[in-house]
Amino acid sequence: MTTHEYTTGATPTPPLGAPRVSIPHQPSHQQPGPPAQPEPPAPSAPRRPGRDRYLDLLRSIALVRVVVYHLFGWAWLTVLFPSMGVMFALAGSLMARSLNRPAFSVIRGRVRRLLPPLWAFSAVALVLMFAGGWSVTKDPDHGGTWGLVEMINYVFPFGAPPFPWHIGDKAGLLEDTWAVQAVGPLWYLRAYLWFVVASPLLLWAFRRVPWATLFFPLALTAVVGTGIVTIPGETGNTITDFAVYGGCWVLGFAHHEGVLQRVPRYVAVSCSALVMAFGLWWASGHLGPDGWDLNDIPLAQATWSFGFVVILLQYSPSWQELPGRLAKWDKLVTLSNNRAVTIYLWHNMLIMATVPIIDQVYNLPFMESERATAALDSTYMLWMFVLVWPLIGLTILAFGWIEDIAAKRSPRLWPNGVKKGRSRGRAGRGAAHRG
Amino acid sequence: MASRTSRHGPARTPRRAAPQVRRRRIPLRLLLPLLLLVALMAMLMLRGYVHSEILADHRVQPEAATDKVPEKILEGGPVIDTRSGRTTSMSVPDHRLVLTFDDGPDPEWTPKVLDVLKAHHAHAVFFVTGTMASRYPELVHRMVEEGHEVGLHTFNHPDLSYQSKKRIDWELSQNQLALEGAAGIRTSLFRPPYSSFADAMDDKSWPVTQYIGTRGYITVVNNTDSEDWQKPGVDEIIRRATPKGGKGAIVLMHDSGGDRHQTVQALDRFLPQLQKQGYEFKNLTEALNAPSAHTPVTGLDLWKGKAWIFLVGASDGITDALVVGIAITGVLVFTRFGLMLLLSAAHARRVRRRTFRWGPLPITEPVSVLVPAYNEAKCIENTVHSLMASEHPIEVIVIDDGSSDGTARIVENLRLPNVRVVRQLNAGKPAALNRGLANARYDIIVMMDGDTVFEPATVRELVQPFADPQVGAVAGNAKVGNRDSLIGAWQHIEYVMGFNLDRRMYDILRCMPTIPGAVGAFRRSALERVGGMSDDTLAEDTDITMAMHRDGWRVVYAEKARAWTEAPESVQQLWSQRYRWSYGTMQAIWKHRRALIERGPSGRFGRVGLPLVSLFMVLAPLLAPLIDVFLLYGVVFGPTQKTIIAWLGVLAVQAACAAYAFRLDRERMTHLISLPLQQILYRQLMYVVLLQSWITALTGGRLRWQKLRRTGVVEAPGAIPRQRAAHSGDDRRPVG
Repeated sequence: MTTHEYTTGATPTPPLGAPRVSIPHQPSHQQPGPPAQPEPPAPSAPRRPGRDRYLDLLRSIALVRVVVYHLFGWAWLTVLFPSMGVMFALAGSLMARSLNRPAFSVIRGRVRRLLPPLWAFSAVALVLMFAGGWSVTKDPDHGGTWGLVEMINYVFPFGAPPFPWHIGDKAGLLEDTWAVQAVGPLWYLRAYLWFVVASPLLLWAFRRVPWATLFFPLALTAVVGTGIVTIPGETGNTITDFAVYGGCWVLGFAHHEGVLQRVPRYVAVSCSALVMAFGLWWASGHLGPDGWDLNDIPLAQATWSFGFVVILLQYSPSWQELPGRLAKWDKLVTLSNNRAVTIYLWHNMLIMATVPIIDQVYNLPFMESERATAALDSTYMLWMFVLVWPLIGLTILAFGWIEDIAAKRSPRLWPNGVKKGRSRGRAGRGAAHRG
Repeated sequence: MASRTSRHGPARTPRRAAPQVRRRRIPLRLLLPLLLLVALMAMLMLRGYVHSEILADHRVQPEAATDKVPEKILEGGPVIDTRSGRTTSMSVPDHRLVLTFDDGPDPEWTPKVLDVLKAHHAHAVFFVTGTMASRYPELVHRMVEEGHEVGLHTFNHPDLSYQSKKRIDWELSQNQLALEGAAGIRTSLFRPPYSSFADAMDDKSWPVTQYIGTRGYITVVNNTDSEDWQKPGVDEIIRRATPKGGKGAIVLMHDSGGDRHQTVQALDRFLPQLQKQGYEFKNLTEALNAPSAHTPVTGLDLWKGKAWIFLVGASDGITDALVVGIAITGVLVFTRFGLMLLLSAAHARRVRRRTFRWGPLPITEPVSVLVPAYNEAKCIENTVHSLMASEHPIEVIVIDDGSSDGTARIVENLRLPNVRVVRQLNAGKPAALNRGLANARYDIIVMMDGDTVFEPATVRELVQPFADPQVGAVAGNAKVGNRDSLIGAWQHIEYVMGFNLDRRMYDILRCMPTIPGAVGAFRRSALERVGGMSDDTLAEDTDITMAMHRDGWRVVYAEKARAWTEAPESVQQLWSQRYRWSYGTMQAIWKHRRALIERGPSGRFGRVGLPLVSLFMVLAPLLAPLIDVFLLYGVVFGPTQKTIIAWLGVLAVQAACAAYAFRLDRERMTHLISLPLQQILYRQLMYVVLLQSWITALTGGRLRWQKLRRTGVVEAPGAIPRQRAAHSGDDRRPVG
């Protein structure tokens, strides 16, 4: 996930006294000239590297969309907002920004920020699974020793970790597929890790042959994602994911390097509309088990996400602050960006966890009438949706600080950007400054 | 459809300094067109619904086991009663026949069937579908009037064993609703679609029959099946329908679903033949000596039914009108394209001929250039500098129309020779132009906008046509400078098509509706004859052009007189600009309506030009949204693939025309890539604007307008076309 950018670069926050109004909001990507312009080295620089709140907003929307999608399972959400593509594009952009520094240390830094939160999640998930009576070596899906070797993916997610397809009892507290649901999202970390590792090479290629590098993943998807070539097993999954979202990742590079901004807007938007139309057309002919769920249609997902991201980044207005009516979401956007890894890792398990909690309501005295039960039945998903957010909040409190530790920052409990007391977090945004 | 560019200088100014209070609710200008579109769409959907295009389900259940169907049902009669827990069946007594007709009423065959029945004094039962009953209520009414019974056959004929209970309930109640509206009755008879004999009940259809019984219906299947839908010949139909040995029977026939002339002929022989054998033809309850299956409805239910029938009738009528409309649109659009291609080719050939001359001598005398300006501080310097590079001798008169941003001072500080500044209190563009005219020294007047940039050759090219003494006014070629944004690219396409196809066509047809305010030239004597500019309309340039035509002057197009202008970059600005154009055009057409009946050149323009302009610029665009309504409908409900292919076909025609226009203007084709998006986003905006103008025109509403926010992107020639000037429009970004 992509929270690491908070400390990217050695740029300290400018002194509080710096008049914000006088700062022209030139985002670094609009700078012509040599690509990968380093951030201004001195705090006295007239430009604040700051966070692009537009990108932050996109990341927040993507996260919320992922949670809602995993909760309700509405296929059309994947068309409405291709979250994963957007998140990979944002991550790619930040990666390009960091790669001014030696590649190895950047990769090490990225991995270091990613792993501790994963370890915390893995620990909890594994304890729960073992407590549920799962044994890797006896799981028919993950034979013997190899299963044990695969367990390392819970520590270093080079592949998807093994997990039991069925655990516990159908009638138990949780559905018997909870492990699948909980561990399922880990594919994202695997894909992210590979993108990070491949980034120096990709960026090198991008700077030499930008267009070829940009479209290479789409071409690869057309080969490995359509059944022309099928690579079996975990390698196949890794390569397919890499291909499907590689386009978005490289778009992130393009955004950061300013390549995207050099393309006239009408060309970019029109071409991406054509690419997206192709994606829809392809999807209409290759509908999956859930209909229009693009996650089941690699080529459609790749092209639709690609076009969508181009348009989002092309219009990228580079806000220093959320404008107008969006401003009131400032704290939530800040919080969700600071805790993106935590939210992403845990959300599916928390969705599962809402079920046993809501089930308790059936035991309440006033729930005995049939009508009350029916009412709860029919609104069950809604209550899950209502309940999952407080649970996510609790998880942020319980595990979120690990992200800070991993980033070599002092741990914060609730980093929503509000500056209070001697909190040394990022300088507060919006309200704090306007006061 | 796209390019009805009528160029009147880009967004002119808010002459009436109304305080701009932004309201938050949906403005009326959006609400009314939106409501209209929604109503249209709803009517279309209603029609699709009663024509079985929506919700239709053509699956038929294969045969299933019968072990769950009670023996006595399988072996019993065709009238199955499962109401309130009963499981009984009845048969028709001997020597009585109940004719049943399914799937109707049909506008062609049902009346004939009814006629035959009437002629032989026979009664029958019609199992009608809700869709057909809704569409032909008068036939249902006639059935009931003539003593026949009507039964339900569901709303749109699905195999109920596939459907949920909810859907079954809905099928029944919608069918009843149609009956209520058509004949004012409810019925308790029901026949399931795809049913046959009682012994054909199986484990799939029996539960449905049971369920329908709980809803209070008697299920009626049949004893003999004429299989008339296979058209086996009259004799065969009679043979199949006739029961053996004088037994009573329920006979299955069809009065709908195709050519039923065999059914009608067979009936005409079958009825007297069996009546001679002592058979009586009764409706079901008569045959069973039971009380009628019909219950009259009154009050609210009756009105609901009537409302339904009325709505279906209206939707059919409206859809038919829409289809006629779209046919007219199609013809208009393609005629226009054809005409444009033909005439613009002819025009280009004529004026590009090497030997082409406007008159015996080229125009070399100096001309006056009028630049009305209102708060053009950002652009005026570029504008004036571009004029200084003119290859033709000119004097420049900048008329400052009460600017508050120091426009006049900027020009004065340039201290350029031949540039004069005339100031006036804010009085509007027409007044500014008239003032400029009064101050002009020369006989040829060039008018431009304060935000427009001329090329060095523009003025010379623009005034050459005046070598022809008949020419009273000349339209130049306005080009969009800021064409890199999406909305800019769309307007660029629109302008190029508008100037290279529309204007050449109008030139040849001698009915050019508008000299663009951004680049146009007038003969002073002609202007004076028609009384100068007027502020009667919002489009003073269209107004003056029409006045010129009526005065007998030729108005021509000078393709090489290029002027670079900055197109609106936000939807809102574009909206207000186009609103003024289209409303102003309507006003101008209305103002000059008397030309229709006048004599001489005015009458010629009135009877040829005005109708053409009204047709192409006001009427055709009004019908054009139908294409999109049908596209949407077709994509969602209809034959999706065919609809999209048809749309792509229209797009291809558009693209071909646009490409031709680009070639005529020697423009790079790259901008055409935004044509598909233009067709689904931009064009619709233009419709709504036009619709809004219509509404304003019909309700006599008043206009508020805003000035186009200038960014000064368009620069002096040399740098033309200035692409992507680093987006200096920072002020427009919503920065907190």
